[in-house]
Amino acid sequence: MIFLKLLEGIGVGLLSLTVGLLFMGLARKITARIQRRYGPPVLQNFIDVFKLFSKQSISHGFAFDLGLVAGVSALLAAVVFLPMGQINLFPHNSSLIMIIYLMTMAYLGMAMGVSSSGNPNATIGVARALTMMMGYELPFAAVIFSVYIFAKTGSLTNIVAAQGGGFLNWNMVRLPFGFLAAEIALQGMLGEKPFDMAIAPAEIASGPMVELGGKYLGFGMLQHAVGIYLETGIMVDLFLGGASNIWIFVTKQFELFFIALLINAVLPRFKIEDGVKFMWKVPLLLGVIQALIVVL
Amino acid sequence: MNSNIIWLVFTPLIGSAIAAILYRVKFLDRLVTFSTFAITLLLLFSVHVGQSYTFNLNFMGKIIPLSWNVTHLSIFMLYISVAFGTLLTFYSLMDKSRMKGFLLLLILAANNWIFTTNDMVGFFFAWELMGWASIVSVLGGRDENSSRHAALYYAMMSIAGSYSMFFGVFTLWKLTGSLSISTNVAYLSSIVGMHPWWVLGIVSLFFVTFMIKAGIFPFHTWVPMAYAYAPDTFTPFLSGVMSKYGIYGMLLFLPISLMEKGMPAAFGLPWVNYIFMWIGVTTAVVGTVLAFFQDDVKKLFAYSSFSNLGYIVAAISLFSSVGVTAGIYHAFNHLLFKGALFITLAAVISRTGTSKMSEMGGLWRKMPVTFFTFFIGIASAAGIPPFNGFGSKWLIYQAMIKQHLPFATVMLFLASTGAFMYLFKAFHSVFLGQRSARYDNVKEVPVVGQIVEYLLMFAMIFFGVQPGYILKPIGAIVSSMGLKPLPTMANGYVTGMFSNVYVPLISWSLAISFTVGFILFFISAKHKYVSQSDNYTAGQIPEEWNLTPETYQFSWKFYEPIEGIFAPFFRIKIDGFFRGLANWTAATSSAIKEIFVSNAQIYAFFAVAGLIIFVIAGWVA
Amino acid sequence: MSEWKDLTNFFRGRSFWMLHYCTGCGAMELPPTMTSRWDMERFGVIPMATPRQADILLVTGYLSLKSLKRLIYTYEQMHAPKWVLGFGSCTINGGVYWDSYNVIERLDKYLPVDLYIAGCMPRPEAILDSFKKLRELVEKGEAKGYEKYVKNYEWYKANQDRVLKRTKPVLQKPEEVTRSA
Repeated sequence: MIFLKLLEGIGVGLLSLTVGLLFMGLARKITARIQRRYGPPVLQNFIDVFKLFSKQSISHGFAFDLGLVAGVSALLAAVVFLPMGQINLFPHNSSLIMIIYLMTMAYLGMAMGVSSSGNPNATIGVARALTMMMGYELPFAAVIFSVYIFAKTGSLTNIVAAQGGGFLNWNMVRLPFGFLAAEIALQGMLGEKPFDMAIAPAEIASGPMVELGGKYLGFGMLQHAVGIYLETGIMVDLFLGGASNIWIFVTKQFELFFIALLINAVLPRFKIEDGVKFMWKVPLLLGVIQALIVVL
Repeated sequence: MNSNIIWLVFTPLIGSAIAAILYRVKFLDRLVTFSTFAITLLLLFSVHVGQSYTFNLNFMGKIIPLSWNVTHLSIFMLYISVAFGTLLTFYSLMDKSRMKGFLLLLILAANNWIFTTNDMVGFFFAWELMGWASIVSVLGGRDENSSRHAALYYAMMSIAGSYSMFFGVFTLWKLTGSLSISTNVAYLSSIVGMHPWWVLGIVSLFFVTFMIKAGIFPFHTWVPMAYAYAPDTFTPFLSGVMSKYGIYGMLLFLPISLMEKGMPAAFGLPWVNYIFMWIGVTTAVVGTVLAFFQDDVKKLFAYSSFSNLGYIVAAISLFSSVGVTAGIYHAFNHLLFKGALFITLAAVISRTGTSKMSEMGGLWRKMPVTFFTFFIGIASAAGIPPFNGFGSKWLIYQAMIKQHLPFATVMLFLASTGAFMYLFKAFHSVFLGQRSARYDNVKEVPVVGQIVEYLLMFAMIFFGVQPGYILKPIGAIVSSMGLKPLPTMANGYVTGMFSNVYVPLISWSLAISFTVGFILFFISAKHKYVSQSDNYTAGQIPEEWNLTPETYQFSWKFYEPIEGIFAPFFRIKIDGFFRGLANWTAATSSAIKEIFVSNAQIYAFFAVAGLIIFVIAGWVA
Repeated sequence: MSEWKDLTNFFRGRSFWMLHYCTGCGAMELPPTMTSRWDMERFGVIPMATPRQADILLVTGYLSLKSLKRLIYTYEQMHAPKWVLGFGSCTINGGVYWDSYNVIERLDKYLPVDLYIAGCMPRPEAILDSFKKLRELVEKGEAKGYEKYVKNYEWYKANQDRVLKRTKPVLQKPEEVTRSA
């Protein structure tokens, strides 16, 4: 029984990695098409990751190693608690706040790893990412707690169950302002433009990734892949009514990711304080309106 | 025999006397302090819930009953405070600072007295003893001038608090003729329906004292100063244990003020509680925002403590079973992780000789044990799951949401995200990044310190993974307050009203995923370790550009972009308000003094008028 | 084991991450190569920000002695396997700067160049062609410049030192500053 769960958990981890990398590849292809280019193969990111793990690399010490591994591992540990279609390993343990705080561990690990390299560009990138995080978490928190109060539950499994029975029961329809706010917050969460100041390649030499090479960069890419999977997955469970099976789930995730991608392809970058201010104006206002509607 | 409770007070007093005699020999002083703490911890095993003891003090012909009563809450607080104090004094065995052991023992005596006493005279006396001993302790900081200033400021706030409590004690004594806390609380509860404003007024007198001691907004101004300039080995106690006295006091009086009778409600809460909850939330947010921009690492964590107490106040002000559980649980967690953080900071400061973050950096290679303790400490403080801060933060959100308070919850969430930011700032600036050449010879703390750090690491992980060991006693406290305790199904389950978290499951999940991650790490291509100077510098050779570790370290103006966002709020100066108040008081009192000393006739007039008023008042009464 | 090597070489050949060291006019040819007109991303080639992340070092144009110093430092910060592409005639024989006093003529003497792109300056088609050529070399396991550099390090180092001793640090040393002040 426990062994079975273990296998299932590893399966879910692999699934999230695969889907995440596939999404990243699709993102490159779609962005290329928007820019009227041919674009790389869809599986390009798998090739990249394989190459990275076969490349030699340098390390700045055990904190560097631990931090980068923690970045992927904590996200993989969080992803098993996510209900995705019929795959729901721990239906009684899918508290959303817990998943969000587990994701924080990944960010802490990553931040620790790249900062221990001693490169100021990496630290500036991390500082920017954390500042942006404070920006988008505020509207996102408003949305989460609206959904909590609306659904009278904090477990993702129950939130999904409460949206059963057709499109009109989805929180996307019932809580439209919250959905909009969460969409904008998702853009920041995924680190897509206009909120990609953390990894600005031309200003701060790709920020946190500046000292990463070889397998360390590979771990960074895997973290991004699982991150995409987890963040879009949370949104699907919160607003798009979950899914009846994993294929529909991934399709819904891709729809959300696709929107983020289109915005990413056409917009330039915010300045960091403007990004935070924007997050605290438009999405937060939407989130607050939603919370007021729910409470009153 | 129930007199063993009194020994909880007398043992530290005796130890204190011995330590005071021996204070010139640093090591003996520390040894006596540690052993007294350890003996008190042993004594605690003989104390059990429900014990009470009364001693009639004959004071100039008047009988003052001093009574002790051990409740669930008091035994819980006693255990955590004395156990932490024992660890801390064990750590300070090697301490070379000007901290004096007998002061800490006086505080311990007051600590035990406050937590066990059931009469207001004892409470007030112990409160004063604790206050003055801690004020004098603050004087022993590294920087004499700053610590003198901080102690003076702390003393002023303390005195204001004491007056307020003194007034409250006498009003209650006058009203009921009893000095027992439980009798008075019961009396206030019984009249709250008829005279809500009276009760509110009296309770506020006590609450001002408690808020000052806990450093709740707007009485927080002494906190950063006192914490930052106190001796490094005293700050853990100040932040971990002493801030909880205020919380303990609030918990004594909360059952009354939260009665719904006679009080209009706001959002499902009595409006007083609603306001008090917002005070807590404001505390949490203000503390977080102020912590962003500190350069002194102890000051940063002082603001962090202040912010965490806001969490506790917000939680207990709801006075629901989840809220009180969450509040007490967070008080415990805060004691543990903030104590650990301040102990590691003491270790770092003792080795580097500075507390400025912009002067440190890259110490992780030199002090690995301290580094890991600090790492787990900030992970706990940020509320990351397998560590101990997670459960309580999570429960606080549950409690707030259950009351349908989304905005307050969002503000708390903001404070939590902000906490992650400033914690990372401290983490980076002290331990990560480039190490300056002047710290090349820095060594790890002595073995004694390392043992304490290992124990703290273990405790932070253990109580994170097995929250049941703490939630069970808290359940008893909650039910003794007349609330329904939370169901703690098995060790490790944290059950809220909205969803469950089974923490060991998270730990297993993390353990497995870390194993997989490290397997991937070790089977993939080789890596080699390089020095910190072999770094990306855009092709420039560091030596040719006079690039030193100090210039290649980023820790100054860490969050500059958001300074602009918060700039308007920095113009409001709470400190300035208190200064203005002090100036105003000084001016008014000198004006009054003028009346008395300028002219003998006016003085005589006032004296006679006062006498007449006294006589009439006595006659009418 | 050789199958595994072939497999890694196959993937390495399809994922070149490029660090373009733009010294001369050749940099002008890169934007069209990257963007919609010629789109080098379809071969898996993308520009990277730092040497740690890169596989290819593309040297576009002439190298003065001071930039050679930085180029060597950058090359040594890259992780093996790594390849150097010499772009344009400046890297082959000095090009129009063949008789300049402070420009090197042959990059090959200082760094192990795996492939030259001839021309002054090469068109984007030529750059893309070089990526395809390099892919073939990598797949066959013939692009071993980084191993050659380690094996013949003394020779390269001697060559580098011979020209670099003519350069001076850009900034004064701190002690020199204090002496002059």
